Amino acid sequence: MKIIYFAWLKNITGKDQEIIKNVNLKDVKSLKKFIIKKYPKLKIHFEEKNLIRVAINLKYTNINIKLNQNDEIAFFPQVSGG
Amino acid sequence: MIKIQKKDFNIDIEIKKIKLNYSNIGATSIFLGNVRNVNENQKVKFIELEVYKDMAIKTLDTICLKAKKKWNLIDTLIIHRYGKLNINDKIVLVAVFSSHRKDSFEACNYIMNYLKKDAPFWKKEYYNKKYKWL
Repeated sequence: MKIIYFAWLKNITGKDQEIIKNVNLKDVKSLKKFIIKKYPKLKIHFEEKNLIRVAINLKYTNINIKLNQNDEIAFFPQVSGG
Repeated sequence: MIKIQKKDFNIDIEIKKIKLNYSNIGATSIFLGNVRNVNENQKVKFIELEVYKDMAIKTLDTICLKAKKKWNLIDTLIIHRYGKLNINDKIVLVAVFSSHRKDSFEACNYIMNYLKKDAPFWKKEYYNKKYKWL
């Protein structure tokens, strides 16, 4: 699956996107766990309610939906356009 | 119509292009957002806007469709810029076209509110010696 990071999240991950091939990552919850393990500095931000938003295939989600290996998952902070 | 672009735009030309397609537009409401020189008592030098382009187009399209269901609209236009923007530069234009003003006024406000809430753009403000993500 393709993971994309935006805004200051990129400063923590050191990259704006990556491909993760792991069949054990079946849903959003397990992916978040995996990401936090890989980038421990993200933990505090994920735990703070509503700070990091998740989009699966260009659509917001706030539930633990199932993931497919060809999904595009984006993590980003509160938006600030306009 | 949704446009996500780096380059500046001319409001009159953009509005005229839409109006050429219709003869029943009686009201056009626009919101224009610009880069301010001060934010939270800090002097801003310039900003950088990042966008998740594909999602921004989809999100803004959905917001406009919802507005069209709530009000009697003829057309909508959103232009949002990204990249480096200087003080006074245009950031965003929302234009709503209808037969009567009430529909366009209210829908323009609605679209702008949801754009601020959901459209995936991020502002990075640069001050004298530092920057901050908003």
